[in-house]
Amino acid sequence: MSILRLISIPLLILAATAGPVYWALPEGLGLARSLGIVAGWAGCGLLLASLLLMLREARLAQGLGGLERMYRWHHWAGMAAYVLLLAHPLLLAADAWPDKRLLAWQTLSPFNQGWPVWLGWLALLLLMLGLAVTFERRIPYRIWRWLHVGLGLGVLLGLLHLVMLGIEQPVWPILGLAAFFLGWRIVREDFGLAARPYIVQAARPVAEDMVEISLKPLGEAIAITPGQFVLVAFFSGPTFRGCGEFHPFTASALGAHGEIRLGVKALGDCTRKIQSIEPGVMARVQGAFGNFMTERAGAPQLWVAGGIGITPFLAQLRAGPLTQQTLLLYLYRAEADAAFLQELQALAVHDPKLSLRAVATGQTVPDLNTLLPVAGDLAQHDCYLCGPPGMVAGLRKALNERGIAPRHIHFENFEFR
Amino acid sequence: MRRLYLVATVLFWLLVAAFWAGSRGLPPAEESVAVVTEKSFSAGELASHATPENCWMAIHGSVYDLSAYLPEHPSRPEVILPWCGKEATEAYNTKTKGRAHKPYADDLLAQYRIGKLTPAQP
Repeated sequence: MSILRLISIPLLILAATAGPVYWALPEGLGLARSLGIVAGWAGCGLLLASLLLMLREARLAQGLGGLERMYRWHHWAGMAAYVLLLAHPLLLAADAWPDKRLLAWQTLSPFNQGWPVWLGWLALLLLMLGLAVTFERRIPYRIWRWLHVGLGLGVLLGLLHLVMLGIEQPVWPILGLAAFFLGWRIVREDFGLAARPYIVQAARPVAEDMVEISLKPLGEAIAITPGQFVLVAFFSGPTFRGCGEFHPFTASALGAHGEIRLGVKALGDCTRKIQSIEPGVMARVQGAFGNFMTERAGAPQLWVAGGIGITPFLAQLRAGPLTQQTLLLYLYRAEADAAFLQELQALAVHDPKLSLRAVATGQTVPDLNTLLPVAGDLAQHDCYLCGPPGMVAGLRKALNERGIAPRHIHFENFEFR
Repeated sequence: MRRLYLVATVLFWLLVAAFWAGSRGLPPAEESVAVVTEKSFSAGELASHATPENCWMAIHGSVYDLSAYLPEHPSRPEVILPWCGKEATEAYNTKTKGRAHKPYADDLLAQYRIGKLTPAQP
């Protein structure tokens, strides 16, 4: 990843935070009050940056180093903002402590206040509840997604709290931007206005609880390369009723006329329903996102796939013969889960640069140290990992122990909550 | 990150409770001296003086009759008028850019003091 892309998000967050803090930098106030004001404005800037980082625009994601990276920073910026905004009222109240304890409580308490302070409290409570929901993974994604929107409402109310306090000059533009980002996300992305129409041409089971779907564009096709993923919502067909939610799927093959094939494993309610998809179902596709395999060097490569994580590698292999010596280590639980195995074996026979090692790991966690090549065999290699987060974390650790530098280890987590 | 959320949230509510407990545990003298020497106004009385011609505000626990001063206030009327009849400490403390008023304003304000705001019973 280029330096510019690497520093793009930290710079964006720094600018969004430093701008309002500089504008409102307190003069001649007590330490606690000054820190309280700085915490409030820094939290406000971080929330604005966090809203920008939740947008799913292919060009924006490309400029900022990928959607997965944007989401990681979105989470961190949001959490940092939350901590600062919790500190904000406490520090304002602490200014009067301990000499005027009643005044300290009156500054904090909503009971003696009006709408300006009530809105601040309401915003803080919405952020508190919204984040509690964010961490609750048992809630179905469909419901979770809309509860998560409550966080955006908290941001808007927090900014209105400032307007009601009479601080209008920098707040209206920030409020406008926040509303724009939220509206953009909901209308263009959640409602699918930015997505392109496709139709399901074929669907075939490729393993237990896994199906490969062929999509044909009904208009202009999206630009996509092997290793990238798209966000797809499936709607209704002759008998199939899709859930209409956008989920990330990695392309397993790309056609000459914009066709995309996707591997879909039943990991939740919606993807389980997709297993019974049929030709003729309408779909909307956003993307493409990710740069997992787009900047490969000429060095020999180690690819490690776990289960459905085989799809980006398969797309690369289906695109044509390899130019780098490559070892593909394909891990799956049992033969019934080994999607595309026969095709991979055939590709390995015909491509002299590809070595395939397919391993059924069983139901227990495999010993990755025994599965990976020894350190000497991995010298000068670039490693690409795709699979469940636990497996990727274990592989990164094992590769680090073999002396592989982090810049030579590439992976994507596909964690969107 | 989930752990950070839990720690920060629990700590926040503990500190809010500490501020509340601190205000409840004041020694009797700290609360009673002003009561016997000053006139006290309830929030209801304060709210009945909410017009530009009859404008009271509560700031830092004191009540001020600012009717005569309003025309001299430098900000636009719509900034200050909504606070007539209300507890306006936070607004007073967070003038433009979140800054407090200058000491001059504090001295000026003292001239319009008419009593003390009766704290609301939680």
